[in-house]
Amino acid sequence: MWRYIVRRLVWVVFVLLFITLLTYVLFYVMPPTDPSILFAGKHPTPQVIAQVRKNLGLDRPFVVQYFLYLKHIVVGDQYGWPGLGFSFTTGKAVRSLIMEKLAVTFALSLGASIVWLLIGVPIGIISAIKPGSVYDRVGMGFALFFVSAPVFWVGLMFLWIFWSKLHIAAGTGYYPISQYGVFTWANHMIMPWVVLALVFAAFYARMVRGNLIETMSEDYIRTARAKGISERRVIVKHGLRAALTPVVTMFGIDFGLLFGGAIITETVFNLQGLGLLSVQSVNNGDLPVIVAITLVASFAVTFMNLVVDIVYAYLDPRVRYT
Amino acid sequence: MRQDQSIRADQVDAGAPAQPGSEDDVAVGKSPWQLFWRRFKRDKFALVGGVLIILLIAIALLAPLIAKMVGHGPNELFDNATNEFGLPIGPSSKFWFGADRSGRDVFVRTIYGARTSLAVAFLATGIATAIGVTLGVIAGYIGGSVDTVISRLIDVVLSLPLLLFALGISAACSVAKNGCLHGLVQPGLRLVVFIIALFTWPYLARIVRGQVLSLREREFIEASHSMGAGEWRIMFADILPNLAAPIIVYTTLIIPSNILFEAALSFLGVGIPQTTPSWGRMLADASNSQLFTYAWWMMLFPGIFLLVTTLAFNLLGDGLRDALDPRSRR
Amino acid sequence: MRGSRKGLALFVLGLISLLIATACSSNNGGGSSTQSNAPVTKGGTYRSATSSFGFVGDFDPVGEYTAVGFSYYQMLLRTLLNYTGEAGAAGLVPHPDLATDLGTVSSDGLTYTYHLKDNIKFGPPINREITSSDIKYAFERIDSSSLVAQYAFYYDGVIQGMAQHSGPPRNISGIDTPDPKTIVFHLTTPTSDFPARLSLAATAPVPEEVAKCFTKPAGGYGNDIVSSGPYMIQGADQMDPSSCSTIKPMSGYDPTSHLILVRNPNWDQSTDNLRKAYVNGLNMSIDSNVDDIFNKISSGSLDGSFYEIPPPTVLQKYSTDASLKPYMHIDPQNTTYYLSMNLIVPPFDDIHVRKAVNWIIDKAGIQKAWGGPATGTIAGHIMPPSMAGLGTDYNPYGTPGNTGDLAKAEAEMKQSKYDPGHTGKCTDPVCNGVILLNRNEPPWTDAEAGVVAALAKIGINVKARELESGAAYQTIDTVKTGAQVGISMNPRWGADYGDPNTFAQPLFSSQALIPVGTSNYSMVGMTSAQAKKFGVTYPAGGVPSADSQINSCLPKTGQDRETCFQGFDKYLMEQVVPWVPMFWANQVTITSPTVTNFAFDQFTGFIALQNVAVSNNASP
Repeated sequence: MWRYIVRRLVWVVFVLLFITLLTYVLFYVMPPTDPSILFAGKHPTPQVIAQVRKNLGLDRPFVVQYFLYLKHIVVGDQYGWPGLGFSFTTGKAVRSLIMEKLAVTFALSLGASIVWLLIGVPIGIISAIKPGSVYDRVGMGFALFFVSAPVFWVGLMFLWIFWSKLHIAAGTGYYPISQYGVFTWANHMIMPWVVLALVFAAFYARMVRGNLIETMSEDYIRTARAKGISERRVIVKHGLRAALTPVVTMFGIDFGLLFGGAIITETVFNLQGLGLLSVQSVNNGDLPVIVAITLVASFAVTFMNLVVDIVYAYLDPRVRYT
Repeated sequence: MRQDQSIRADQVDAGAPAQPGSEDDVAVGKSPWQLFWRRFKRDKFALVGGVLIILLIAIALLAPLIAKMVGHGPNELFDNATNEFGLPIGPSSKFWFGADRSGRDVFVRTIYGARTSLAVAFLATGIATAIGVTLGVIAGYIGGSVDTVISRLIDVVLSLPLLLFALGISAACSVAKNGCLHGLVQPGLRLVVFIIALFTWPYLARIVRGQVLSLREREFIEASHSMGAGEWRIMFADILPNLAAPIIVYTTLIIPSNILFEAALSFLGVGIPQTTPSWGRMLADASNSQLFTYAWWMMLFPGIFLLVTTLAFNLLGDGLRDALDPRSRR
Repeated sequence: MRGSRKGLALFVLGLISLLIATACSSNNGGGSSTQSNAPVTKGGTYRSATSSFGFVGDFDPVGEYTAVGFSYYQMLLRTLLNYTGEAGAAGLVPHPDLATDLGTVSSDGLTYTYHLKDNIKFGPPINREITSSDIKYAFERIDSSSLVAQYAFYYDGVIQGMAQHSGPPRNISGIDTPDPKTIVFHLTTPTSDFPARLSLAATAPVPEEVAKCFTKPAGGYGNDIVSSGPYMIQGADQMDPSSCSTIKPMSGYDPTSHLILVRNPNWDQSTDNLRKAYVNGLNMSIDSNVDDIFNKISSGSLDGSFYEIPPPTVLQKYSTDASLKPYMHIDPQNTTYYLSMNLIVPPFDDIHVRKAVNWIIDKAGIQKAWGGPATGTIAGHIMPPSMAGLGTDYNPYGTPGNTGDLAKAEAEMKQSKYDPGHTGKCTDPVCNGVILLNRNEPPWTDAEAGVVAALAKIGINVKARELESGAAYQTIDTVKTGAQVGISMNPRWGADYGDPNTFAQPLFSSQALIPVGTSNYSMVGMTSAQAKKFGVTYPAGGVPSADSQINSCLPKTGQDRETCFQGFDKYLMEQVVPWVPMFWANQVTITSPTVTNFAFDQFTGFIALQNVAVSNNASP
């Protein structure tokens, strides 16, 4: 087991290295904007451009830049550990920038994930227990609808109906607790939470339903029933355990994925999280920020993948370690 | 594909291939395809999905005709469709779905948008399927280090922050006159198809690989071996046909994801030019400056069409999956 | 710009003529800085929001050249000369600020002497008198190349001893400080607009004891600016300047979140007749959702907008509702929005094609896409009326309703070599697939369809590309990539200060053609030698030049200069035709009823933060 974990950890590091390299190549070699020209101003002379380039550290060979970057991550730089450099557009330390935005994305993800679990799983269970019934049809109808609906459209529709027309929901924007208090913060987060959650809830409802139905048709369930155990206990003790295990692992992965920033939700609701920051930095050619976000996102995904695989292997003894 | 992030398997576990005929055997032997068709016909929702798709394809193909009937082109500008502040008029007898800020007919553009969405979805999915199936079969069948390399590649691509890279590639390829890869990938539809195919092939490859892994050990493969058939022949003559069913199912299930992916990319501004109407782009235009609080028609109609299209493919895909693999029947 | 001049008197005379000419030119939608009828109130805070600061020099005055940066500096800093912060031509006349008067100039025009007022002090935490050495230190910073002074070219080679060098700021031989209240500039050549250059923020006094800690990389001082004006950055008094390691960024400035300014206790109003400083402070927060900003202004939680263009729904609301109209302030900036055609890219290398394009573009449609007449005046020529004084009467390609004229466009196109069949449409293969570059944000994206459709009418079928603003600019200001773009919609050009040459040399002279960062996007005056150097194809028909015309205007002053540049504008519009001027922009600022005094600073082109008054009781 431990050899497996260590091997996987090594793989995580390798993937991260490769992804950072890929990001560097993509945004450095094929940049939409050369930052040194972008920031060289209105009347850039070659000297000014050269100086800006030097200031941004872009005058060194690509390989040197890349290794310096890696070194700073490990060792830290003048802004602290890990050393992620400074943003080309604002001069602000990338580290503090990422921390600020991460808090927003985290708040969005956590809230949304609680909502989607609370909505999606019960719907899936009920549908599975009573297949073909009214509950099943309505539940699966809802699921099908939100699986098919584009997130940004749902967001816009919600804004239109509940904010613009009915005035019962708060508008867009993120209102930090420290400045506006918990109530205002939560008020503005409800719609983004719900909108983001609905799509996931739909997936999870379908998945739970499918898994549970499949599980319930297994032989050992028949055995349990034959032994005289109550249906309720059969479902809860035997059925759910097997059916929900994949859900738990799926949840881990999905939660990790959200750290790439729920870009669309953040864009529609104007939440200053990692997603919105990534769009802005790509537009601005702000290389350090782009690489840092890619790192955070990929790390979250690969790490969660690892966690999930380990948990799954632990829970389901049928799985072998490859 | 989930709209915010990358793809993952929807429900069905990738381990077992379809088992045709195991539950519905009747006295008169029917071929697996006949059984499949029978099951499929009984699924009303899947039929609805299928009909809707045919309808959409028809609309997409007939778009120029429809535009002619209405009398407005998709890029024709009408000065009287906007007021002095550039704000568009709403649904009226001349403009059934209203107009947009440039004075164009939203109804006609919505119809044309079907072409974009369907074209991108089919093309991108086709390419992704071709790549994914090929690599999946090779990885699953040949195994060893080839499998390791391909599997690792799949892992890496699936770990990439999807939209971030899509934006980056799009931005990078929009600058030069001839785009990227020496003119092969131009900004516009080609770029979008390229990006979508690039990020969705691993999904198929992984599934196909799983299927091949279990197929590999089956007796009929052994039989082929002992008859002296070569590896490539086995791969394409024996394994591939048995993959047909899951490939069809998963391909159909990816299409709605890809439609939404394209819409998301357009929404975020990845370069399909305005002269090619795209539902995602129309929704982005509606959300700019919160225009939709005034011009709700710009947001409602393209969104509904997008929803219906995706829904139709999901229904069809669900139906196909259930028909081919009755174990997971509703 | 540079030229011989015979004395201060002539300069002042020229300025007066400029004023008269400007006042007499017709100005649609101009200068309506309407103020509410409530009495002007002192106190309170001006609360505003902006989608991003957009600084390019990290807010360090030595390198920050953006007009929005200057708007904040008008509250924070004082320079030898500065402006009154009002709308119209009067807002472009330099007045003494730290100097006691407009200075003394030697008869040969090479020596400028200024005396400093009494009782002018730095704000906390420095708190001491400002001396001439502090001003000289600012100039020394300009020459330290690691600090990237964007406007260095206005001083290097103009003031003796000033040239870029690597290494920390060092002495400049051409600037004397015989006593703490006197500063003398020795120029290398007479420079008629030198006083105007002393109003730029890079020349504001800087305390060496703080700035010496920020010699590289550029931008660090922007977090710890020491005030010389009526306001200081909040938290300045908490900054500990005792040593470099104790200096921490002032809390009032966070580049991604806010800029909060509070009163500078050391500012003496009796020494400053340019700034009213009614408010107790400024609270500018970052809100990337522009619509949100305008919603907050209507609801009263913000007092006014900043540089953002109001969305069309807001423009409609404020234009049609009589009770709201006084809160919409429309002021002309010195900015032209235009279509730039690249003279080395076919088919735009043919003047008949360029003229045809001028005839066909529907400028009224573009104005509509921008949000209607409040956003600007349709432009008939290149320089805004406030520049050289050619008014709206001169419109050589004017069409009824400004919607474009197909007949005239076709007539022009028929004379072009790209229409060999004389059909009135561009039929040569090069007419297909020309790149049109645009920004990817509204209202540019909304105006695009009209431009594409108009060009198609005369057979030019473009491929539109939308890029983010920075990327779009960079594509056309790099000659090599600019050569791939036939026509671009993204550029706009605003004058650096009130001299017509700022609309001539940087935009149309062949000297301005540098491989990277040129502003001559149309490549006017490019020679075949230059083309070879840049690695681009030189058109067979050559490229018209504007160099001799510009050079003939440069030495002129006063009314002559004006007339000369008017002629230059005409020459460009009729003989060179590098642009299709779209409109001369207005800055539309929306305020809430809490604003009891609104002022527009013609120099920055935005609201004069140093002169606004509010009736709220908010503290910064």
